[in-house]
Formats: sequence, structure tokens, C-alpha cells
Amino acid sequence: MNQADLSKLVSALRIAVKPKPRLFASPEGPAGRLRKLKATVTALVKYERIELNYPRAEEAQSYAERLISDAIRNGDCHKHTMEMADYWLDEKQLIHKLFKVLVPRYKEYNSSYTKLVLGPKTYPGYYAGTAILELKGNPFPALQPATQNYHYWLHNVLLGEAKREFRVAKAETNANLSEPVASKN
Amino acid sequence: MLRRVVLQTFRQGLAQSFFKRNAASLSESAVTQHPIETSEEASEKSGSKQKNGDESGNTVVVAPPEFRFMYPEFLPDPTMERRNKLKEKLERMDMLQRRSIIEIPEFYTGSIMAVTVADSNSPNKFARFVGICIQRGGSGLQAWFILRNVVDRQGVEILYEMYCPLIQKIEVLRLERRLDESLLYLRDALPEYSTFPFEMEAERRLNNSVVPINPIKVKLRPRPWLERWERQNLQGVEDLNLPQRYYDRAKEVAKPWEKYDLMLQYRKTIPAEEQEKIYAEVHSQLQQQDLKRKIKRRRGPSSEQ
Repeated sequence: MNQADLSKLVSALRIAVKPKPRLFASPEGPAGRLRKLKATVTALVKYERIELNYPRAEEAQSYAERLISDAIRNGDCHKHTMEMADYWLDEKQLIHKLFKVLVPRYKEYNSSYTKLVLGPKTYPGYYAGTAILELKGNPFPALQPATQNYHYWLHNVLLGEAKREFRVAKAETNANLSEPVASKN
Repeated sequence: MLRRVVLQTFRQGLAQSFFKRNAASLSESAVTQHPIETSEEASEKSGSKQKNGDESGNTVVVAPPEFRFMYPEFLPDPTMERRNKLKEKLERMDMLQRRSIIEIPEFYTGSIMAVTVADSNSPNKFARFVGICIQRGGSGLQAWFILRNVVDRQGVEILYEMYCPLIQKIEVLRLERRLDESLLYLRDALPEYSTFPFEMEAERRLNNSVVPINPIKVKLRPRPWLERWERQNLQGVEDLNLPQRYYDRAKEVAKPWEKYDLMLQYRKTIPAEEQEKIYAEVHSQLQQQDLKRKIKRRRGPSSEQ
């Protein structure tokens, strides 16, 4: 009916969400698709960093984000959130991990809770490529080097100096223009 | 504009804390903003009055949480391919403008309403129809509702577009909800459940804070029906008395996994932060219009005397 569903309030996800879900080939239909994704989400919460094929990783990322954002928004006393945690996490000790470890960890985050990194392609290998999906704030060493400080690279120093000179020159011309007007007044 | 900027800076802290507060404090925060004030004044004043538990201490304009049920058409169509922020904003402005001209009261499916429409073919140039609202849908300027009544033993349904310029007056004769969000099954119910007299008068509400839910269970005619009602998990229908094979088939075609599909739910709705922004944008104007109407109504009878 083209009207937003009002029954549940959900937090906005901080990842890019595609307008249509990815459909996986599964003989069980949509139920089988969810079962596959469930295994991935459980593994992600358990191991905090997993390597898998790209389409599955991208799809599972959004489900993991939804699960965590719901847990943060509603807490562990909310019936629907608890049902979802019970369904999406196959190993039941992970429900405790979700509410007692991940919720405090991500409460103050302003960005997404998971990170998707393109993995290496092996030749001959899987066509869609691999990806590494991880929960942010995990205890493992970082996958990518920390961003470098580029300010002191020679061309950046030169460009900065040029900008400063340009600004000074412009201010001078402005001052020269405004003076005769002031004298007239 | 100021309101929007303030809201954005405050949103992150607010999003988590806001919905955990109880309804009482929410309505309180809504009351603190005086409807006539301009948006800037309102946000300043509410900031000084409002006790917010967030450490940032910023000001924010918050619409009461029941607004999303009262004015669902202000939320855009959740289909992502069709989203267009500018179009949505312009439509909201147009809707408010239209609402300043005619009163579109709060109503729900199950409410009994009367709509007066300009009609060049009728002798007095307007047509009035009374009926029960059986469905409500659409978003933005395309929002609509369907009224149903039985006239001369013939079921009649009219779909009205809420913001259609032909509509002259919308009245709510009895404000209530039913157990279901869509009452299309009244088409297959006995006619007495959707028969309402045209000379019905608007009922006075004793308790304005709560919308009553009518727990009536409707009795359907025997099959054949327009839809397979046994598959729709209806609450407001008496036992259907079908052979067991119908229920077995309903179980086979049911989709029990859909309630676990978190992204399906996400794609069907508008995120809470966005809803908050939209209602913060429109609520002061809606309240202003409401207040103006109340003052007009109070003055109306006194000036006649």
C-alpha cells in the first residue's frame, strides 16, 4: 500500500543498503537463504573476523548490523529483539555475547559496527572473489595499515604554501579596493 | 532550517536515549513547546525547560511518538528506488498547506467517517458519503482511504484521496480502531457490519487521550469469498468453520520465516531517526493549525449569540 510499516521502530543502518536483497541459489527457497545467512552471522559474532565469498559477506553484513543495532536500541528485555537474537545466533552462548559484550562496545559508535574488506583473488579461484568481514573493535591486528599522515609530503607542503600566498594576495587586493571607498565617505 | 541543523547535531545521542524514555516524559516534552512560537524560539525555550539526560545538553524539537500513527502519510514511500528527498520535502509542504485550508482529522481504519466532495452533477453541487474506513494507504500527496457502507442493500465503497482539492470536508463521526489494520473482509461479511445511517451524528469523546479499540468479531458469509481470509491471520473475524483441508493448505503456503528477515522489515519501513526528523519538521505547524481551529470553534458560537 506504499505506506511505511509502523509496527516496529528500527535504527538507520550506517552501511549502504541495496534496494533489493541478493538471492542465493538454494533449493529450500527464501527459508534456505536465511539459514545460510544465519550460519554466517553466527560465525561472525563468534570469531569476529571471517573470510568468505563476497556476495554472502555483503548480505550477511547487513543482517549482522540490524541485529546489533536492534540490540543497542531495545536492550535484552525486549521480546522481539530477543526472539531475533535467538533465531540468528545458533550457539546460545553468543546471545550473552551480543548483549553483554557487543552492545557496550558499540554503544558510543557513530559509524557502522562491521567492516567489509575485499579479499585476495586466487587464480584460478572463485569468480565473485573473496571478502573479509569483521566486527569492529576486535582483538586481531588490523587488516589495513593505519592511515598515514600526508601533510608533510613535499607537494602538499608546497600546495599549502601556495594557497596561503594566494589568500594573502587576495586580502591585500580587497583592502586596496575598500580604501578609496572609505576615503570618499 | 535551524531546527534541522540542531536535530542533526543532537541525533546520535538522542536516538538511543529518546525511545527508552517513557511516554509520560515524551508528552511532557511535547507540551513544553508552545505551538505559536516560531521554530527558533521554540527550540530555545524547550532547551531551557527540557530536562534531557544526555550529556551534550543540546536543544531539540521532538514530536510526540503517537504522531506516526496519527499522520502516517507524512512518511515517504519506503521503496528505495522511488525515494527522492526533495520531492518528499516539497510534498510535505504542500500537504501542510492543504491541511491549513481543510481540516483532516485524526482517523484510523475502523473509524466511521463522513466526506463531502464537490460534485457538479448533483443538484446542490456537493455529495456527502458516510461509511466505515476499511483501509488506509499511500504516502505523501497520494494518501488515500476507502469508505464502505451498504446503501439500499448494495455495498458501496468509495476511495478518497486525502489531499484531493475536490474534498470539502472530512468528519470523523466515531473515532475508534479495530483489531485488524485492513478491514477488507467486511466485503464478505454480513451487511449489518458495514451499514451506517447517513444522518449519523458525530459522537463526543469522553477520554481524548486514548483511541478505543473495538473488539467486535465479524461473521463472514459462507464461501465463495473475494479473498482466502483463512490465510491472513485475521483477529476481527469469527471462527470461519471451514473444512480442515483449507487450514492445512494455509499452513503449507504460509511464510513463517518472513518475521525473522530483518532486512525485509528494514526495507519496508522508514528508520526511526528519519521519522523523528520528518515529524519534528511538521509537528509545530500541525499544532499551530490545530490551535487556530480550536480558537475559531470557541469564537464561532459566541459571535452568533
